[in-house]
Amino acid sequence: MTEKIDLKKVEKQTYRFTFTDGLYDLTYGSLLIFIAIAPILREILYPSYIIFLILPAPLILILGKRFITIPRIGIVKFNQNRTKSRNKIGFLIAILFPITVMMVVLTYLGLYNIKVGGYIVPVGAGVFALVLLSVIAYILDYPHFYLYAVSIGLGLPLAALLKPIFGEPLHYLISFGISGTLILIYGIITLIKFIKKYPVSKAEISNVKG
Amino acid sequence: MSKDKKNIRDEVHTPNSIDKLIHEPARLNIMTCLYVVESADFLFMMRQTGLTFGNLSAHMSKLEETGYIEIIKEFVGKKPHTMLKLTEKGRRAFDEYRKQMKQFFNEL
Repeated sequence: MTEKIDLKKVEKQTYRFTFTDGLYDLTYGSLLIFIAIAPILREILYPSYIIFLILPAPLILILGKRFITIPRIGIVKFNQNRTKSRNKIGFLIAILFPITVMMVVLTYLGLYNIKVGGYIVPVGAGVFALVLLSVIAYILDYPHFYLYAVSIGLGLPLAALLKPIFGEPLHYLISFGISGTLILIYGIITLIKFIKKYPVSKAEISNVKG
Repeated sequence: MSKDKKNIRDEVHTPNSIDKLIHEPARLNIMTCLYVVESADFLFMMRQTGLTFGNLSAHMSKLEETGYIEIIKEFVGKKPHTMLKLTEKGRRAFDEYRKQMKQFFNEL
């Protein structure tokens, strides 16, 4: 009993525990992959390909939490500070997500280059995404989001830079596909480890205290 | 016994004044986990503390009897769900326990 109880550390560990399912990596990785294959999807499914950019990522997160995470580790509600932080993130994501998708689509269509010219807008869009996702990483207190911020922040100007060299759709596959695949694989491995470590408990079935 | 000696003895915390209900390692673990969150369900507490269902249930019952924790029945979707929460009394008792332990080891 001589060990000092560091409550902040305990709270942080408890909070980080809820991220051990790898679902955020899986979600973001799949989002990047869908962005990477957006030019290909556009050819096949125009205009409904936009749905593939918007829908799968949130669905993976919501359904994954509901059917994979909660039956394995249960539910926890954090104190008001954490709740407020999550509300701020929800607000930021609500702004960021449609803007990001719109920017990606407009960059792909080359509208930025027509209106402004050069790499100013892809770089600006990259910086915008980088800053916003970094803010989310800070508020969410989840360092992986910094990696996400870098991947999309660099991806946007990189796509514009690679377009004249590799042409379509390779420029997007390289800019977003590589980072997306790596993040997705990491997420899948983390999820498999999580599922193995925390099998569905009988306590979940009889969650009412007996 | 002189008055000074009696005062000194009163100031020194002895292990006897430590809340034994919290001092038990498994319950200390439970109390610590619940202290840092708003509330958590049974399964989450099992994962966090590493206790079995029966073990956790037994300790929870003791803590509930003392009024340190409360059990909240709620619905998640259509399923009934049991959430566990530290009461105000439980929070105060935990704060006091920490204070006493800190003081006790400082005095050693």
